[in-house]
Amino acid sequence: MRTAFGRCALLGAVGLAAGCSGLKPYPNTLAPNLQIRTEAKSGSVFSSVRADVGIYRVDPQCRIEYQGTVDLDKPTVAVGIPADRPSYLVFGFSSASFLGGTRSSISQETLLRPRPGYSYDIEATYKDDLYNVVIREVHPASGARRAMDLQPLSACGRVAERPAAK
Amino acid sequence: MDFRVTTALAVSMLLLAGCASQPQTAEEFRRVVPGAFMAKTETFEVDRSFRDVAETFQRRAPECLNVRIKTTSSTSTSYQVIVARYTPTVTVSKERAELHVQRKFESGVLKVSPEPEGGYYLLVADAYPLEKNRTRVEWFGPSRGYDALVRAVKGWASGENLGCPDLTKI
Repeated sequence: MRTAFGRCALLGAVGLAAGCSGLKPYPNTLAPNLQIRTEAKSGSVFSSVRADVGIYRVDPQCRIEYQGTVDLDKPTVAVGIPADRPSYLVFGFSSASFLGGTRSSISQETLLRPRPGYSYDIEATYKDDLYNVVIREVHPASGARRAMDLQPLSACGRVAERPAAK
Repeated sequence: MDFRVTTALAVSMLLLAGCASQPQTAEEFRRVVPGAFMAKTETFEVDRSFRDVAETFQRRAPECLNVRIKTTSSTSTSYQVIVARYTPTVTVSKERAELHVQRKFESGVLKVSPEPEGGYYLLVADAYPLEKNRTRVEWFGPSRGYDALVRAVKGWASGENLGCPDLTKI
């Protein structure tokens, strides 16, 4: 009993030390079509901010099913999501203050239906209590980029038909 | 429930309204803020067309400000959950683009005066067209504690920063 408790405590401590979110990791086995560039700064030495993206499958009835989360703990992270069908991306920014032990999180969500062959350059930023997610579609041949509007889940029917462009 | 916190919040809302009844419309809010304690109004100009400013308000306000924020705080003697629903409204005419931000506490805060539909007014920003593709912006709101919200609205107006304010921090 004591040993099991000790193991649990040790695993918990290791998880916390590693910044483990406790969320299911996204398998990320598909060819990468998203390049996510992240910059997350709290603006204070007494607090920290971490970013992640939750990835949901969207079925033809616009119901979502959680597939997993990717920690955005590096300046650039490559992620592969299915092409030619919508996915729902939830970019989360979690803040923790070392003084007072307060935690908070906020998110920005969008539907995205990647076109086959295209890649998507995504900037996820959190700085000085302002956050933003910008998505640009990159043409496979020319490399031309076009900014895309974020699409709420309520736009699922439209996004399933064609991608939205600004 | 920690009634000290809820009372403080309720009192601050009253102070914003000049210890009178809460503004029930954006126009009332504009009238009350200049003379209210812990409230402020500011005017600035941006080197950007009125049309672009209005379009940015219309695009970013729903994306950033249509949110529900749940705040949990606990001490050894208390536990409190506050749920706040933020609602933005943008109206555009030839003369003016208006951005209204309202906040409705869905739980955790006592309401001591009649609340307009959508919640108490938190901030109102107006944009007016000027010559040479410039725009004048005037905002009315709290003087402290809402820095992220004010910086976001200023960034949308100038086009320099289109980020959303982290409303968990206000």
